[in-house]
Amino acid sequence: MVSVINTVDTSHEDMIHDAQMDYYGTRLATCSSDRSVKIFDVRNGGQILIADLRGHEGPVWQVAWAHPMYGNILASCSYDRKIIVWKEENGTWEKTYEYTGHDSSVNSVCWAPHDYGLILACGSSDGAISLLSYTGDGQWEIKKISNAHTIGCNAVSWAPAVVPGSLIDQPSGQKPNYIKRFASGGCDNLIKIWKEEDGQWKEEQKLEAHSDWVRDVAWAPSIGLPTSTIASCSQDGRVFIWTCDDASGNSWSPKLLHKFNDVVWHVSWSITANILAVSGGDNKVTLWKESVDGLWVCISDVNKGQGAVSAITEGQQNEQ
Amino acid sequence: MAARWSSENVVVEFRDSQALCLYVPCSRRFLYLVNLDVPTEGHRKISRQSKWDIGAVQWNPHDSYAHYFAASSNQRVDLYKWKDGNGEVGTSLQGHTRVISDLDWAVFEPDLLVTSSVDTYIYITGLLFPVKWNKKNANCLATSHDGDVRIWDKRKPSTAVEYLAAHLSKIHGLDWHPDNEYILATSSQDNSVRFWDYRQPRKYLNILPCQVPVWKARYTPFSNGLVTVMVPQLRRENSLLLWNTSDLNTPVHTFVGHDDVVLEFQWRKQKEGSKDYQLVTWSRDQTLRMWRVDSQLQRLCANDILDGVDELIDGIALLPEPDKTLHTQDSEPQHSFGHADEEALKDDFQNNLLVGRKSDQLGLPQTLQQEFSLINVQIRNVNVEMDAVNRSCTVSVHCGNQRVKMRVMFPVQYPNNAAPSFQFAPTTTISSTMKTKLLKILNDTSLQKVKRNQSCLEPCLRQLVSYLESVVNQEDSTSSNPYALTNTVTPPLPTFARVSNAYGSYQDSNIPFPRTSGARFCGAGYLVYFTRPMTMHRAVSPTEPTPRSLSALSAYHSGLITPMKIRTETPGNLRLYSGSPTRSEKEQVSISSFYYKERKSRRWKSKREGTDANNRPIKAAGKVIIQDISCLLPVHKSLGEQYIKNSAIIEPFVFDAVSLVSVQVWSLATVATDLCLGPKSDPDLETPWAQHPFGRQLLESLLAHYCQLHDVQTLAMLCSVFEAQSRLQGCVSSSGPFPQRSSNVLSHSRYPSFTSSGSCSSMSDPGLNTGGWNIASKETEHTFTPWCESSPDDLRYGNLTYADHRERERDQHDKNKRLLDPANTQQFDDFKKCYGEILYRWGLREKRAEVLKFVSCPPDPHKGIEFGVYCSHCRSEVRGTQCAICKGFTFQCAICHVAVRGSSNFCLTCGHGGHTSHMMEWFRTQEVCPTGCGCHCLLESTF
Repeated sequence: MVSVINTVDTSHEDMIHDAQMDYYGTRLATCSSDRSVKIFDVRNGGQILIADLRGHEGPVWQVAWAHPMYGNILASCSYDRKIIVWKEENGTWEKTYEYTGHDSSVNSVCWAPHDYGLILACGSSDGAISLLSYTGDGQWEIKKISNAHTIGCNAVSWAPAVVPGSLIDQPSGQKPNYIKRFASGGCDNLIKIWKEEDGQWKEEQKLEAHSDWVRDVAWAPSIGLPTSTIASCSQDGRVFIWTCDDASGNSWSPKLLHKFNDVVWHVSWSITANILAVSGGDNKVTLWKESVDGLWVCISDVNKGQGAVSAITEGQQNEQ
Repeated sequence: MAARWSSENVVVEFRDSQALCLYVPCSRRFLYLVNLDVPTEGHRKISRQSKWDIGAVQWNPHDSYAHYFAASSNQRVDLYKWKDGNGEVGTSLQGHTRVISDLDWAVFEPDLLVTSSVDTYIYITGLLFPVKWNKKNANCLATSHDGDVRIWDKRKPSTAVEYLAAHLSKIHGLDWHPDNEYILATSSQDNSVRFWDYRQPRKYLNILPCQVPVWKARYTPFSNGLVTVMVPQLRRENSLLLWNTSDLNTPVHTFVGHDDVVLEFQWRKQKEGSKDYQLVTWSRDQTLRMWRVDSQLQRLCANDILDGVDELIDGIALLPEPDKTLHTQDSEPQHSFGHADEEALKDDFQNNLLVGRKSDQLGLPQTLQQEFSLINVQIRNVNVEMDAVNRSCTVSVHCGNQRVKMRVMFPVQYPNNAAPSFQFAPTTTISSTMKTKLLKILNDTSLQKVKRNQSCLEPCLRQLVSYLESVVNQEDSTSSNPYALTNTVTPPLPTFARVSNAYGSYQDSNIPFPRTSGARFCGAGYLVYFTRPMTMHRAVSPTEPTPRSLSALSAYHSGLITPMKIRTETPGNLRLYSGSPTRSEKEQVSISSFYYKERKSRRWKSKREGTDANNRPIKAAGKVIIQDISCLLPVHKSLGEQYIKNSAIIEPFVFDAVSLVSVQVWSLATVATDLCLGPKSDPDLETPWAQHPFGRQLLESLLAHYCQLHDVQTLAMLCSVFEAQSRLQGCVSSSGPFPQRSSNVLSHSRYPSFTSSGSCSSMSDPGLNTGGWNIASKETEHTFTPWCESSPDDLRYGNLTYADHRERERDQHDKNKRLLDPANTQQFDDFKKCYGEILYRWGLREKRAEVLKFVSCPPDPHKGIEFGVYCSHCRSEVRGTQCAICKGFTFQCAICHVAVRGSSNFCLTCGHGGHTSHMMEWFRTQEVCPTGCGCHCLLESTF
């Protein structure tokens, strides 16, 4: 059964804007308008504050955990136009890198799949997207896509790592030739898909369906199916599921999941990419699942922030 | 001058050349005319019969024709004549083939009207979007289309005189300079206003970056002013900004008051004998506002500050008074007059009062005495004794246990490019380094202001206070930091130079409104979510959608803060987030301002401000809830733990699985992998089972089903099982499924430590050594065996038989007899890798390794330190388990005497050892080496 296993009192002094657990689900990072980022150890239902990270000079919008193969690394972005990368060394969390190259609030940060190395994509209200790649020795290489979205970029999300073509063609011993892609959403009501070609980021696709600012995009994790899926949500209250079946990645078709009455702020995929969590201005969290016949159904509803997600899915009933 | 504007079904038009001033909002059925001199008295309406909305309306600006106005509706222009309180249609003009978007009466000829339409013809009676006659040159007019501006001469209508590639995005508005016939201003979607001299079309004269698309930018009829309106769809950005075109860094004034987007604004002509101008604005909130712009404000737009103290004092007294507010309503039925409206009116009135008050502070004082009298003495913890006669004042500030007292002396020329001097009094407690820092801050601030001939005392005071607060906070936080770990992170410095705007101000209109709730799937099977606390309600009605941009917060600032004001006191404002006990309530701007707390909130606030030490944390932050939603997922950790007891023996783990997952699937799988169905090596003997409908086809439909369920666990397990089965049955033969990998050299270089090993870990079990079991040939066996760290493996050589070279046929047969279609190998690998990742998140690393064994393309080879093995017999360096020279096993297990491959341990002293599991077992009870060499391995080295 779905059960609440932990309720963490973060003691933030102002509203929380993001909460995310690490790869294993043992630590929780939160960020808030009180300009701080906090990390809790939440193993076994506990909630021990590990670190209270201060360094931002404005509300902190989002946090992102890097893959643990690079160590315990957390990135945060803020209204103060900064991106800070925090790292745990010998049990102490410290700022390891700070990027200040944006001219407006940085709204979203997302780590690339670990296969690509340590790369962080950041979307800012100055309309630009920056890509910070760790090149070793404490050095970061910056690539910037300026004017990615007119008015501003609100969200970035990486595509899962896929290798083009057959594995067998890969020269053995070399790193597979990944095609790096990510999606971004912005104030121009568009979702854009970016692709790296010869080290340059190029706009590959422009997805148009929303009638207001796109607030979040989420590229679904891959479980090996040939379809790519992206979820997007917007100020207009709509949530779209975009799918692309062809390998070249050119034909995306949208499907309306639901039209909510208020802005939808966030969409998140489950690890098997079959459940979508949707949250927005109405202060509710809903979970949506695609049925076998391709319809999206709401399988649960968290009301008023205090109730628990409670739903028995069909599959579960079958199993019992 | 007249104006026109359109939006949806509202049009505003008024004119003011005479006492009779009108204003026309219109619905489909009516045009309204309002007398601006007596706006509260009823307005006239002109009814009309058309299904089209009015697009643009404009009065004829010439006195002799002042009773005419033109209104466009769809493709037609109606000329109305206003007579005796009634309007009638005089003439209808038709010529356009598409909707008319704009019209403008000629400035010099009373009977010339220009209209523009989407049909891209411009008729002068009859151009494109915004269109405007030059205010000085009778023949010149400007039109814009998208980002271009075209200048036309009406005598040469065929071609444009000049062409300006003005903006990258659409131009929303253009306006000619009132005094210079060559200069115009364009406002655009690209977030800027640009100023042009059309004789130099390549480069703009100046640019006003706005960060928001600009709807309208119009020159003021006096001095060098410019008024801008941001694009209306940015909600709550309802203020008009007044700029001085010679200093575009900060707006000189903000007209605050409208509750909704300002749709149109226009300057009213000066009344005779009055120095004031009036700005009339019409907003979507259905109110018409008139703002008095007095000489004080006009002066702010001037190039140089004029002298004249009498005028000035006069000006201060007359600063924008609460203006008359007019409420008009469409006659459309959905609008109802009633109680609500009256309230709205009252609110407006109060707002205007506020505007008036605030503006007092904006009127920049010109003499020291005035500055002193205007200074806001409400700054927390500050005491100022002012002595205007001696041109000095004494400032004392207490903050925590720090105290600063300083004397400020103002030179005679102040504030005209002459900064005051600051001097610490002896009672000051802060250290000398802080004093120097503080002095620098103060000098910088004051210099900045006086350079623009502005007074600087108040900004300096705010700087002083904020600096002191930060110092005190820093002390607090370092002394009472409860988390030892965070000691290294110092609190942010008070300076925030790069960000020069205030949180939630108009400049934030492109920053999305912050999320206050969110849900995210994390790890494998957790849902983390947070929502706004129950006690936080939205300040606006629940039916109104949450605002789009952060600038909406400006509407919730407890005091009305104008951008300019904010800019002058930046550091102070940024402290809003510090949670310092000394911050003033008035300045508190945060996302939580949008939500109000239930009544008890008052209490915590006061408590909070009282003592910092033990007050309860604000409950603006809700709790973060972590839920275990793994039951909603198609993958299950408990299954993951039990699957694959032993990779090659299918039965046991199948039966483990049976208890939990669909019995049928796994019994099918069991049957299908039965060794009796194993394919024969000779393609001619029989059709392989895989080609049977219950073979590959059945399996594929199973896989397709689980794909739909996104059950990557079952998918990966099925793939692994059948992969294992095919390997067992020797499908992986010399020319096997991965022909490219059969190069011996290559394999050696990639997996140097695993050469010449058996294929699967359980091959030592003779029970399975039957039927079609053919161990792969010596050359290729290492291609699929590098992932063996999980179980102790024995070395067994199979009878290395066939090396038939009827390649093509064999290839075909190899493919045919495999139950898993080799064409989809990559996808199957993806299933396994994805499942492996999930296992990793579960912490089941051994299980992951077991699954990844079956991936056709191995993970990156191990890089780093490896053990080098020397043959125990001939001492030559050996790679793998068998010495190439003496053919002996390089490393034999001391317990079971077979060659060790995979996980092993050995004693560093005597060199004996073996399989980890055997060693562990032995040394659980024993202390000496199992070979009997007498070495106390446990003491000598660590196992």
